[in-house]
Amino acid sequence: MPEDPGKVVHSLLSGTVCDILVSPGSVISVGDEVIVVEAMKMEIPVEATAAGTVAEVLVTIGQRIAEGDRLLVLQ
Amino acid sequence: MSADRRDWLEEVGELERRREMVAQMGGPEGVVRQHSQGKLTVRERLELLADPGSFREFMGLMGHGAYEAHELVKLTPKAAVDGFCRIDGRKVVVTGGDFTVRGGSGGSSHGGLGMELSASRRAYEWHVPYIRLLDAAGGSVRTFEELGRTYLPDGNSFTAPEVHLLRIVPVVSAVLGSVAGLPAVDACISHFNVMVKGTSQLFPGGPPVVKAALGYDVTKEELGGFEMHTTQSGVIDNLADSEEEALGMVRRFLSYLPSNVWEVAPRQETEDPPSRREEHLVSLIPRDRRRAYDGHKIINAVVDTGSFFEIAPRYGRARVTGLARMNGYPVGVMANNPMFGASTDVAAGEKVMRLVQLCDTFHLPIISFADEPGFMVGLESEKKGIERAGARMLITTVDSQMPWATIVVGQLYGVAGQCHHRPSGMFQRYAWPSANWGSMHIEGGVFAAYRREIEAAPDPEAKRAEIEGRLKALASPFRTAEATGQDIVDPRDTRPLLCEFVEEAQPILRAQLGPTAVPYRP
Repeated sequence: MPEDPGKVVHSLLSGTVCDILVSPGSVISVGDEVIVVEAMKMEIPVEATAAGTVAEVLVTIGQRIAEGDRLLVLQ
Repeated sequence: MSADRRDWLEEVGELERRREMVAQMGGPEGVVRQHSQGKLTVRERLELLADPGSFREFMGLMGHGAYEAHELVKLTPKAAVDGFCRIDGRKVVVTGGDFTVRGGSGGSSHGGLGMELSASRRAYEWHVPYIRLLDAAGGSVRTFEELGRTYLPDGNSFTAPEVHLLRIVPVVSAVLGSVAGLPAVDACISHFNVMVKGTSQLFPGGPPVVKAALGYDVTKEELGGFEMHTTQSGVIDNLADSEEEALGMVRRFLSYLPSNVWEVAPRQETEDPPSRREEHLVSLIPRDRRRAYDGHKIINAVVDTGSFFEIAPRYGRARVTGLARMNGYPVGVMANNPMFGASTDVAAGEKVMRLVQLCDTFHLPIISFADEPGFMVGLESEKKGIERAGARMLITTVDSQMPWATIVVGQLYGVAGQCHHRPSGMFQRYAWPSANWGSMHIEGGVFAAYRREIEAAPDPEAKRAEIEGRLKALASPFRTAEATGQDIVDPRDTRPLLCEFVEEAQPILRAQLGPTAVPYRP
């Protein structure tokens, strides 16, 4: 079944996760910085594309991620 | 012999009957098939594109008639619907391929004695924008059998006017099906193009041709779908989820441009005051230079609210390019995007060249928000020919004439940094206090310039850090301002300053009306 796009935050770029700014239970709004990805020697904040309460964080610090990977699931 | 005093109503009836036949397009089966592929018919598309009731067809009776005892029994229209219509009240020429008739394939005989003017020639002579709704397969070998011979591929005879159009009127292509051959190339003989996710693909030759030439299997979508063309190849600027959205983008793109190069772009009413100071601009650029931000945020904060229309958002993402309005006046606008490295690579540079040429051709001022680390370095960039691409971008910049404003918001380095400057014409540059610049980066340049000194030091690393610190102390933009007069502004004043610039640009733009010396190259 296709995922509800309003409930998942995807990565817009490839890189290495260098910081996670939310945890399960965090309440986020659209545009909040949720995860920081390092790519090309830059730290690039990933912003929430949906609002809600974080149910699950799917990545860990140091993990390599690709564009489009799922980062967070919201309740 | 008594004079025939009958009126012409019988013939008018014949006209109506022929029009009804033509309105059936390729027939009910073809229409059902078109719909089952998730596509609209050309006439449904025209309804979505045109201002209501404004479509006026020309060459509408053209087609292939079947007769029984001199009585017309069937009229199959030509595989295109051509006409004038209005978009936001302004006249345009539109040509729409009709896939329900022979798969939209050729069979046209433009150029014969007595032929009416083609759609492209009308756009050329009327000085109005030209819109292609592409849904056609290009040439077909079936034509060889119909003709009883093959023919030289002299399509340039009728494509030449379309090339000349690029210099004088906006040309837009919407790819609304699988297009191959000339229609696929036509898609790029444009100032803007758009395709629809899932239902449109383009290639010079489709999967069967690839199989015959190269021996491998590939799907239409893999070969020429939206992933290929809106992210990898950059052949298509924008992606729409539906045909309705694609046609909406065509209308929106045209709303920023004049009907031709002899007119000024239409100003629109805006609720957004030119004096608006945007508070968050003063904190938008991170002090930590390793921290990225989204270049779209600067553009959206400065231009008239909601007026930014991005071109090619999925390709060459180190640079954001598009059209917007400042106090109602259309402008071209671009910004480096640190979210995607900001460094100008070949793809981002192509977008810059096309925007600069677009603004130059149609006399729009351009606004550039610069945070330029320099041209993209590395093996991948070399393979793509970054120096030649860089030379073309530099030449395009220097050759342009329209008023240009650059706001240096962050870095400005190297030759790519140099391309945010134009030494001629109406050019204004402002810098934010967050700006820093140089012919090259201090970090990378110290070892190259002070190698002997560093190597001779008892602690080379400490020496390198010492020199770097010395140079960094000189890097404040205020030091440059002392010497050159470079104006540094409060970021919150950016919109008022740029609205003033765009207002002052209007008489210059009017003086530049007409075709530019350097023709537009898509």
